Amino acid sequence: MRVPGALYAARGRKPQNEKDVPFQEILPLRLKNTVSGKADSGSDVACLQEMGVLFACMKDNEFVEKYCDKEIQKFQNCFKCYMDRKFEAKKTINQGVVQPGNNLNYKQLNKYMRRFPNPL
Amino acid sequence: MAVFYSNALRCSINGYRSMSMFPKHYAEPIKRKDMEEFNKSELTKFYHIPIKPALNSYSDTVFNDEIKGKMLNYITKNGNKNLARGLLSRTLEIIKRAQTERMHLSPDDKQKVNTNAEKILIDAVENSRPLLQLTSIKRGGVNYQVPVPITKKRSYFLSMKWLLDAAFEKDNKVGLPERLAWEILDAAHGQGRVIKRKDDLHKQCESNRAYAHYRWS
Repeated sequence: MRVPGALYAARGRKPQNEKDVPFQEILPLRLKNTVSGKADSGSDVACLQEMGVLFACMKDNEFVEKYCDKEIQKFQNCFKCYMDRKFEAKKTINQGVVQPGNNLNYKQLNKYMRRFPNPL
Repeated sequence: MAVFYSNALRCSINGYRSMSMFPKHYAEPIKRKDMEEFNKSELTKFYHIPIKPALNSYSDTVFNDEIKGKMLNYITKNGNKNLARGLLSRTLEIIKRAQTERMHLSPDDKQKVNTNAEKILIDAVENSRPLLQLTSIKRGGVNYQVPVPITKKRSYFLSMKWLLDAAFEKDNKVGLPERLAWEILDAAHGQGRVIKRKDDLHKQCESNRAYAHYRWS
């Protein structure tokens, strides 16, 4: 006698045996002991307001620089300050002095994590 | 040499590696002729500090100038600095002759005409320095020309490069010194092609000011 297929269909498909698909660890399932420094570089947009003021002045005076001395001076001072600050920040990062606190840069974090690595 | 090497190695271990052969505590050499007038107490601090050797190009003549030296280096091709030096001195001579002629031709205010060729060169370079620069930044598949501020050093480089570009652009019937001299004279008086190029760049920056916040690197 032929058994009708509808009887089996209610049960659905039989699950696969777990031993047939062994788990493969493609990447290690734990965090690395380092962080990359890419996120610390941050945004580089500086002196936008000064630039806007300078553009306005230049447009009013038909791009003759001597009428916009004050604006030019301000703009250049702003950019110089920004570059100096960036340089100082880089210097402090390179020194790599680890101080307590939660505001650490990537080099300090790496130093910390090297001291307390993830247990294997 | 072995001492230098070990010092450089030590520098690289704590912190970052210095590109200089000399470690950081080495003092810069002083390039001044009037050492007698130099304050004695200032000199005492150099007694026990090692000092870097002076550069080959250091000179204390009155004709030595930083901008002039840079210009000389930019004129140089294939390391032929001797030729470049000749070209630059010929350029300055032409400027001097032209300005002297102008002084004699001018009816009354003879003192007003600047006949100092080196000063005119410096004026020309200062006049053609740009304030901003356009860099191309890709956002959403479109390249935007974004105005960015430039460093002092780069502005000097650009102004000197533009002067030389303008000189090389003219037709080849006369030598470089003639062409360069006229460009420098024009730029020193706030006119000519180099000044126009600078103004064009500023105008372009102004029209692209809406993209200024796009910069990130």
